[in-house]
Amino acid sequence: MATAELVLGLLSSGPAHGYDVKRGHDAWFPDSRPLAFGQVYTTLGRLERDGLVEVVDKTSGGGPDRTVYALTSKGRDHLADWLTDPVPPAWGSADEVLRKLVAAIRTGGDAAGFLARQRASHLRRIRELRETPADDDPTSPLVREYIVAHLDADLRWLDSALDRISEQRGAHQ
Amino acid sequence: MSGQPVLELESVEYSYRRNTALRGVSLELKPGEVVAVTGASGCGKSTLLHCAAGILAPDAGVVRVDGQDLSALPEERRAALRRTKVGIVLQFGQLVPDLPLIDNVALPLLLDGHERGEAHVAARHWLEQVGIADDADAVPSELSGGQTQRAALARALVTGPSVVLADEPTGSLDSRAGQELLDVLLQAARYRGAALLMVTHDNVVASSADREIRLRDGLIQHEVSLR
Ligand SMILES: Nc1ncnc2c1ncn2[C@@H]1O[C@H](COP(=O)(O)OP(=O)(O)OP(=O)(O)O)[C@@H](O)[C@H]1O
Ligand SMILES: [Mg+2]
Repeated sequence: MATAELVLGLLSSGPAHGYDVKRGHDAWFPDSRPLAFGQVYTTLGRLERDGLVEVVDKTSGGGPDRTVYALTSKGRDHLADWLTDPVPPAWGSADEVLRKLVAAIRTGGDAAGFLARQRASHLRRIRELRETPADDDPTSPLVREYIVAHLDADLRWLDSALDRISEQRGAHQ
Repeated sequence: MSGQPVLELESVEYSYRRNTALRGVSLELKPGEVVAVTGASGCGKSTLLHCAAGILAPDAGVVRVDGQDLSALPEERRAALRRTKVGIVLQFGQLVPDLPLIDNVALPLLLDGHERGEAHVAARHWLEQVGIADDADAVPSELSGGQTQRAALARALVTGPSVVLADEPTGSLDSRAGQELLDVLLQAARYRGAALLMVTHDNVVASSADREIRLRDGLIQHEVSLR
């Protein structure tokens, strides 16, 4: 899952407590399941171990929620890469596409560029599926049509997202 | 020679009386290349295709087919170039109403001075390719939207054009019939090494292209490679 990258995104505007990260996440994704505290702290711990975040302040005597975390430059690079790369088109990939898009917009990333690359990635996958030679497994055309129909639905959404983002950008100029 | 673009648009602008439809669009198609033009309704896709086809003359900018600037040619030569080098499938009906399909499809060859028997052989071949050989003697008013679209495609391909321009070529077909017709179009283009520019709302159609050019409000919003 993309929780680690989202946490990096939430820290991109400045150092924060785990509690702020949780609240930020729930504000970015009000319609999804709230992020559990436990998950925030294990994620921050893992990111710290990997050198993507660092502890910049620790109030003595406080629990883990008194610790202030900040992005390292390695963490910032990792986040930028994540926001650039399209999601490999697979079942259930749409959720992750949405997470990246929201994170890109919230952190001032190139959301339109990401959407264009994601469109290309989905379109390539449809072509691959169409060009896969038929075999005699009776379930394979069903599966293939299912995947194409879902990629198509994602693409329609990507398309309207592109228009919406450009409209908003136009309105803000 | 084969590296030269067969279709070039350079900073093309076009306005209808009250609407600006294209605000400076440039693109190039090499032989054998397949390009999908996408974008929201009203963004200028059909206008772009009509300018590329020489049906509309741009207010500014240049359109070249096989290296020839369309606006520099006298009308008669422009019409001949369009007939022989460019195959066009329009979004809305373009068949001659009371003419049987076989003659509708043969028409570009007849206008180009080909002998009638020879033109009919070619027309029949393309009617077969698009799957409506049985309707050769029907007139357009007797056809469904999908059959009309197949006939329009046969007519666009009959001259062996080096550029095929297609506006929503599968628009009135269900997805299976649409994919069959798309395959005919792609094969015809690939077999002949023709460049193909397709305007489409259909993601399956767009997915078969080498490149996607997305328009927004009369400008290219992005261009991505799909290879
Ligand atoms: N004959 C016309 N007279 C006046 N305005 C026109 C004419 N044809 C198109 N337009 C306008 O020019 C703009 C571009 O139209 P165009 O037909 O090129 O769009 P499109 O991208 O092909 O749309 P669609 O996906 O609906 O076919 C639109 O704003 C449209 O209203
Ligand atoms: Mg149109």
